[in-house]
Amino acid sequence: MRDSTLKYLLVLPAIVVVFATAIWPLIESLRLSFTVGRLSRPGSLEQYLGFENYIWAFLYEPAFWNSVWVTAIYTVLTVGLTTVLSLGLALLLAPGGRFRSGVQTLLILPFAMSPALIGVSFRFMFNPEFGLFDAVFGALIPPLADVSWLVDPVLAFAVCVMADVWGWIPFLTLVLIGGLASVPQDTIEAAQVDGASGWRVFRDVTLPQLAPVLAVVVILKSIFSLKTFDQIFMLTNGGPGTATQTLSHYIYFNGMKYGQIGYAASVAWLMVIPMIFLTYAYAKFVFRKE
Amino acid sequence: MAEVILKNLTKRWGEFVAVDGQSLEISDREFLVLLGPSGCGKTTTMRMIAGLEEPTEGEVWIGDRMVNDDLPKDRDVAMVFQNYGLYPHMTTFENIAYPLRVRGIPSSDIEPRVRRAAEQVELTRFLDRRPKALSGGQRQRVALARAIVRTPKVFLMDEPLSNLDAKLRVTMRAELKHLSRELKVTTVYVTHDQIEAMTLADRVAVMKDGVIQQLGSPDEIYNDPANLFVAGFIGSPAMNLITGAIQGGQFVTTGGTQLVPVGGDDRNEVVLGVRADDIRVSEAGKGNIDVPIYAFENTGEATLLTVQWGRQRVIAKGDRYLRKEQDDMIGIALNPEHLYLFDPTSGSRIRT
Repeated sequence: MRDSTLKYLLVLPAIVVVFATAIWPLIESLRLSFTVGRLSRPGSLEQYLGFENYIWAFLYEPAFWNSVWVTAIYTVLTVGLTTVLSLGLALLLAPGGRFRSGVQTLLILPFAMSPALIGVSFRFMFNPEFGLFDAVFGALIPPLADVSWLVDPVLAFAVCVMADVWGWIPFLTLVLIGGLASVPQDTIEAAQVDGASGWRVFRDVTLPQLAPVLAVVVILKSIFSLKTFDQIFMLTNGGPGTATQTLSHYIYFNGMKYGQIGYAASVAWLMVIPMIFLTYAYAKFVFRKE
Repeated sequence: MAEVILKNLTKRWGEFVAVDGQSLEISDREFLVLLGPSGCGKTTTMRMIAGLEEPTEGEVWIGDRMVNDDLPKDRDVAMVFQNYGLYPHMTTFENIAYPLRVRGIPSSDIEPRVRRAAEQVELTRFLDRRPKALSGGQRQRVALARAIVRTPKVFLMDEPLSNLDAKLRVTMRAELKHLSRELKVTTVYVTHDQIEAMTLADRVAVMKDGVIQQLGSPDEIYNDPANLFVAGFIGSPAMNLITGAIQGGQFVTTGGTQLVPVGGDDRNEVVLGVRADDIRVSEAGKGNIDVPIYAFENTGEATLLTVQWGRQRVIAKGDRYLRKEQDDMIGIALNPEHLYLFDPTSGSRIRT
């Protein structure tokens, strides 16, 4: 057997697996997005109606726009907060930082929890009768004492953001600690001797050299924020009303609960658009050439 | 411009003592070299002057100010790092301009000053390049220009030439010397390379285990070493250190019976130091003693003869046109003017 034939044979199993588990479902969902696609009506899965589903989402579905809006704010807030807080923590915990200790490794624990579990625990924490956070916030900030967190649309959204930020900070902190460790110490010392204050050293020397890692963190977190589902499903289930209904949740509800699989597929494909941009940017940063 | 004074400076990390109660006065405009093997505390000493390391005990004075509690940025020193510490995301121009920029100097003043500094180190053609696009020697020059773009009280240089290849190092050494005589700023220079120390310094402080072993001019440390360590560390090839005894004014090697007159009282244990160029090589029978050649090396500018003297080997420097073979017998004579005696246990010099 010739080497060139052999090499294709060797990668064939991998290609088959990827095709069966990723490519084919993708193509199938794209096909479904152009059909009537109701689970309750057999035959509707082959009933094509062109771009009707997409048009429907854009023109006649306020709930779709609501979830786009929720997802957008949710993404901006979680990405912003996690990045800033992780960077702060990383600076404190990095080698040469002020609070480096063995506790660092323990910080990974929240990340080891499944998002669904985080959702459930936060729901308990904010329970008006026996929730720990509910009690603590009430005691610290008296006006919040009688607030039912998960009943108020804005506060419920805030709790979702809080839970997500809490879950993601540790991992991103570790990534940024790694990034900080790769910033040459002598550039920082050179800046100190050159006369820069702590803030200017950070702004002029540390941050620019950390930028590639920071970009990866922001992009990665954006991708994960955009597709958030399980945590919100367990925490608020999109409620109250649709106040915390992200796109993923909206898709799930339409597809699985209402059985409108064709419509759900079309919304899912709409979500692919920002994802493609982010993935491209991510790949560009991760595999960038020196 | 200012003098630098260290008072009982000590740096400890737990049990480890890096710098041990060191006192040193560096006068205004002096070029002082801290010389020693790696781990001797020379870099730590310099970093304490810069403020990058906090002394465990003792004081650092720059000019008439005790700077222990001052941050590096407030000490008005400029430092050249071993790995240059260039800002990779800035161009050469921006790198050199940075110390001026953080001091809030107006842009109109920055431009000419950066150009002048770049001219002094012959970098004007590379001002738009990033460090990545520069060679090692050019990076070195950027680091130098960044230090000289303003006039600090003190220059600190941490092995600035050690990352350059041998040829470039010699050129840069001369340039550095020229520049330092031109700028006339107090300079502390750390190196483990004794040639750099000899050629650049007004005074050299030879360090070992966090303690200065000898402080003096290059002449003094080469020709009048204070102890065994300095004697062995300075000079290439290293000074021959021959163990033996003194009997009736004669030096007797431990292994043999060969004698060289050294004078002084009788001693059972003594180390005789003699530099390779203070051993005169002659035909057999014409020196103090005759010895066989263990190895003959021709370096081009001179010949190095390692000879077997009793149980010990000694290196002598011969004429560049001398040609000998291994195992040939030659005569060697030690220049009595330049013999050094040391106590082998304390390492200190015995002066007769």
